[in-house]
Formats: sequence, C-alpha cells, structure tokens
Amino acid sequence: MDTILEIKDLTIEYVTEEGTIHAVNHINLSIEEGKTVGLVGETGSGKTTTALGILNLVPSPPGQIVSGEILYHGEDLLKMSKGDIQLIRGADISMIFQDPMTALNPVHTVGAQIAEVVSLHQDCSKEEAWNRAEEMLELVGITRERSHEYPHQFSGGMKQRVVIAMALACNPTLLLADEPTTALDVTIQAQVLEMINELKNRLNTSMLLITHDLGIVAETCDNVAIMYAGEIVEYGTLEQMFTRTAHPYTLGLFESIPRLDTDTNRLRPIPGLMPDPANLPKGCAFQPRCPYAQEKCSKEKPLTRDLGEGHLVQCHFAKEIGIEKRRD
Amino acid sequence: MASLLEVKNLKKYFSVSKGFLHAVDDISFSIEEGQTLGVVGESGCGKSTLGRTLLGLIPATDGTIMFEGHDVTKVSRRQRKELQKEMQFIFQDPFSSLDPRMTVSELIAEPLEVHHVCRNKKERQQRVTELMETVGLAERFEKSYPHELDGGRRQRIGIARALAMNPKFIICDEPVSALDVSIQAQILNLLQDLQESKNLAYIFITHDLSVVRHISDRIMVMYLGCMVEMSASKELFRYPLHPYTKGLISAIPIPSIYAEKKRVIMQGELVSPINPKPGCRFAPRCPYATDKCRQEIPVATEVMPGHLVACHYVKEINETLN
Repeated sequence: MDTILEIKDLTIEYVTEEGTIHAVNHINLSIEEGKTVGLVGETGSGKTTTALGILNLVPSPPGQIVSGEILYHGEDLLKMSKGDIQLIRGADISMIFQDPMTALNPVHTVGAQIAEVVSLHQDCSKEEAWNRAEEMLELVGITRERSHEYPHQFSGGMKQRVVIAMALACNPTLLLADEPTTALDVTIQAQVLEMINELKNRLNTSMLLITHDLGIVAETCDNVAIMYAGEIVEYGTLEQMFTRTAHPYTLGLFESIPRLDTDTNRLRPIPGLMPDPANLPKGCAFQPRCPYAQEKCSKEKPLTRDLGEGHLVQCHFAKEIGIEKRRD
Repeated sequence: MASLLEVKNLKKYFSVSKGFLHAVDDISFSIEEGQTLGVVGESGCGKSTLGRTLLGLIPATDGTIMFEGHDVTKVSRRQRKELQKEMQFIFQDPFSSLDPRMTVSELIAEPLEVHHVCRNKKERQQRVTELMETVGLAERFEKSYPHELDGGRRQRIGIARALAMNPKFIICDEPVSALDVSIQAQILNLLQDLQESKNLAYIFITHDLSVVRHISDRIMVMYLGCMVEMSASKELFRYPLHPYTKGLISAIPIPSIYAEKKRVIMQGELVSPINPKPGCRFAPRCPYATDKCRQEIPVATEVMPGHLVACHYVKEINETLN
C-alpha cells in the first residue's frame, strides 16, 4: 500500500517570553492510502500542533518548526514555497476544525464559503463552483435550498456538516480531522461519524483523526498513535492497541474511562498531571506519573522500540513489566 | 423513608419574543439521602435549567419542590438562605465560575463568610484548611489564583466551596465535562468518596452516558424539557424502553474492538422548545410515531418496578414487556 504522508522527526516549539514550549518532540508517523490513523492524547499533548504543522499553519511567531520532514507523496511540505503549499491546502490536504461555531465566517452564506474553496482550487466558473457547493451540501445531508443561509441559521451539528462539506469539496486525498465531533451531542456525533466514514470510503480518502475519545478510535481508526507531552509513546494497529496495550500511559487512559459493559466501583485514574511542556522532566516524560517507573526512567530517555509487527512503544520496561493485558 | 427532595409537576417556561420556551415541562421525581440521580439529555433539553430551578436560582413557573418538608418555590428570603446551606451547586466550567481576583483560600472562605458560620478569622482559616484537605488541594496552593491552576484543581475549589456549609444535597452540573479523562476520573472518585463519607445526595447532570452510568443510582433521561424515561441506572442501560433512550445508548462509541455494534442512527435533530406542538416531543424523530403520538402527550407510567417510561407504544415496541 502507498504511504501518502510521512512525518519524520518533527519538532515544533513555541518560543515565548517565559520560555520555550516543547509542543511536539521528534515524532514519526505515517499514513497510508485510504487508512485512518487516530491521534489520541489529552489537552496540551501536541495533537493539534502536529496537524497544524502538516499544513504549515503553526502560528509563527511564536511557533517554529525546528526540525523534521513532512513528506507528502515524497515531497517535503516544509520546504515548499508559500504559493505551492497554498495550492495543496484545502485541495489535496484539508482540515476539519474542532469548533464549527468559530470555523465558519458569520457574514457569508454557507454556499459562498464552500464555493470559495472550490473556485480557489479548481479552474471553473462561478456557477460551476456554486453548483459544486450545493452538491457538497446535499452530500452531507443539507438541502440545496439552504445554501443561501448564514451559519447562525444552522444548528451545531449542521454547522459541522457544512465544515465537513467544505473540507471535502475538492476531493482531498488526506483529511485532517481535529476533534470533529467533540462539540456535538452523542446522537449527532453518531450521524456525523457515520457520514465521515461513508464519504471517506467512497472517496478513498486517508484521514488523521485527532480525538481524546477511545470509543471513537475503536469505531473509526485502522491505526492509533498515543501522544503524551509532545511525543508518540505508543503506536500500533487498532488490535494491538486494544488487546496488547503496552505503554503504562495508554493503560492508564483505558482505566480512567468508565465502561458501559462492566461495573467498577471506583475508576483508577492516572495520578498527577501532565508535565508543563515548557519544563519537561528528564528521562521519560511520563515517569513522574508512572506506577512502574524505576531509576533508569528518570535518567535516560526511552527509545522507541518495536514489540513486533510494527507495534511501537517508547518505554524502557514495556516488555519487562509484562503489562500485556488482554482487554474485553 | 421520607425523600430528601421531592419534585412534583415542575415547570419552567421562559418568555421569549415568539411565545414561551418550555425548558422544563411537568417533571416529577424524588431523591433519597445519599443517593445519586443522574440527569442525561442532549444540549438544550433543559437539564441545566432543571438544576437551577431546583435550587431556586431561577423561579419555577409551576409545581412544587419539597426539600426536607419545605417548599423551595414558596419560602421567604431568609428561609431560602437557610435552605441554601443544605443545597449546593457545582458548576460545569471551573474556568468561569471562580472570581479570578480571589486566592484559593479566599474563594473557599467566601461561602463561610456569607453565611456567618465562623466566629472568628482563625476558625474560618481552620475550616478552609480542612476543606482543602478534604478535596485534595495541597496547602501550598492557598495563596494561588485560579488562573495558575489546571482545570482539575479548579474544579476541586468548586467542590470545596460547595462542601463548605456541610450540605446534604449537591447539584453537579457537568462537573467533569471540561476535564481530560485522567483528571475526570480523579474528580469522579473524589465525588464518590465524599458521598460515602458525608452521605450526600447528588443530582448529576451530564451528557456523558458512560459517566452517568458509573456514578448514578438512578437515571432520568430528558428530551426537550420532558422526562422520557427514568429507572435504576444499570437497568436503563440493559433494558432501555423508550425509543429515544435506545437511540441515545446505541450512539455511544464503545472503546472496545470486540463490541457488537448495532447502531440505531436517529434521524434529524432536536426541534425548537419554543411553543412546542402538542403530542410527544420525540415524535418527529421517532421511527414508531403515529398520529396519536403527534396529538397526545404521553404520560410517564411505571412499566416495570421503578422504571418509568413516557411513550404511548412502550408495550408494542418492547416485546419483553408482554
């Protein structure tokens, strides 16, 4: 299978007066054609910064991409000129932002906003662009007649559909979805996820799905990357992650969520807080919160190792601790 | 045993330019000491309004709220202040519910000052230290301001403020929705520990169904201001009887790769709660709706012991009931 996006050794920092914030630290990640990769982590773990980095949209200053390559079909996006990357943004790679309330322009009709994307990237007349916009609206389940309405006339779920229609208008090969359903209610979330999945399969789009919800991961992703303090601490297929969870942080995440199928009296939260990205601990970033931490962990940064079949873990003792645990 | 809180036919309508917004429409329920009632529903279903009306923060349009024998809707100002010691509120957003110019210890001392419960400064300070320990805030944060703390710690301040008067009953309005999962679990455990040690009753308002199942004894499902189903928490998830509850529960993404996925995707979205049409509120989205549903509002009936459902066709839809 073809790899369409390959992130190599990406490091992104925000330089502020109070110090340098290490938002993304040397991450490697690749996305294959037609596959969905889930990027999971808590607030401040660097998920959104990674996605913005791919599109070269990290606000600068204070942000700066310190090192790394982002290869899209073999071409480094970070080395492209402003004009070239603009041609790719919205056309080949597009992004669904988390909050549909702020992602849309309140003073333009939704039809005009979708048509704008189309006419920017495709050589077509105004009418053609408008037609395409209406088609896209229908595709996401909004009737043509509503294309002349403004964002405030739509509900939250409908607005998110508009944002999705806009992201898909130019048949992108890669979709970056940043918490696309977090602002929505569960029943609407189910509708939107089903729609994204269906469109993705029909158009054979690859997707990087940023989320903190392991339920959504289980239902939509092929591969999963767990991010903690700007690093990918575990990566593997859905099956590897859910049945052979190896990193103590991933295990902690699973144990923090109340389950619907089993009864637990008390949850087992991960103690403590995520470290300040401006002041990361020495050695393994998770070590201050890790129940299995040993002396080595606070001294030496663990390297990423392969537990077999591409299941990558960044932990000194993943094997030794034997936290191989069957879930379900 | 007499109920701690008994609500009968509670209504809250807001007057808007186009008519009346039925935020809470004819809701009845009761809570015993030390119990948790979960209230779930999508945004706009009236669950927060319900919480606020119960505490008298906004006046009820109609109905009675009996708390330990006093009707909250009819008490005098002075009596209300007394009642408020017993009934407290934990807000959703620990970022906006705390005064940014007060330190942690000032914030926790505030309710103590308002109710004049401490004889002197020293006593008050002692109580603040005690409360901080109860909710797991280290003493070194005493002089910190809310913006210096993370969401989990801020929510702990909110909980300490609610506990200051030793209440019997706390309404928690989405107390963990703004927090990350690992912090969310810490706060949920804290709330459960406090409930056990102080025999607190909670109303736990949330849209997160797995959280509500975990923490509640009973659950009430709301849809557009109406109660559609209420039962013991585990029973609700095992035997959801109302078509809305069925859809809601099946819409939860399950974090397991072996889970069977039988999803009922509900069509459409919430309709406007302003001047609602007669009949069942869920009828426009319900796959079983008939003319009767569009004309007559269904009354909640007890179909199994302690399991109330407001649906005309609950028997027809659920074969298990026959």
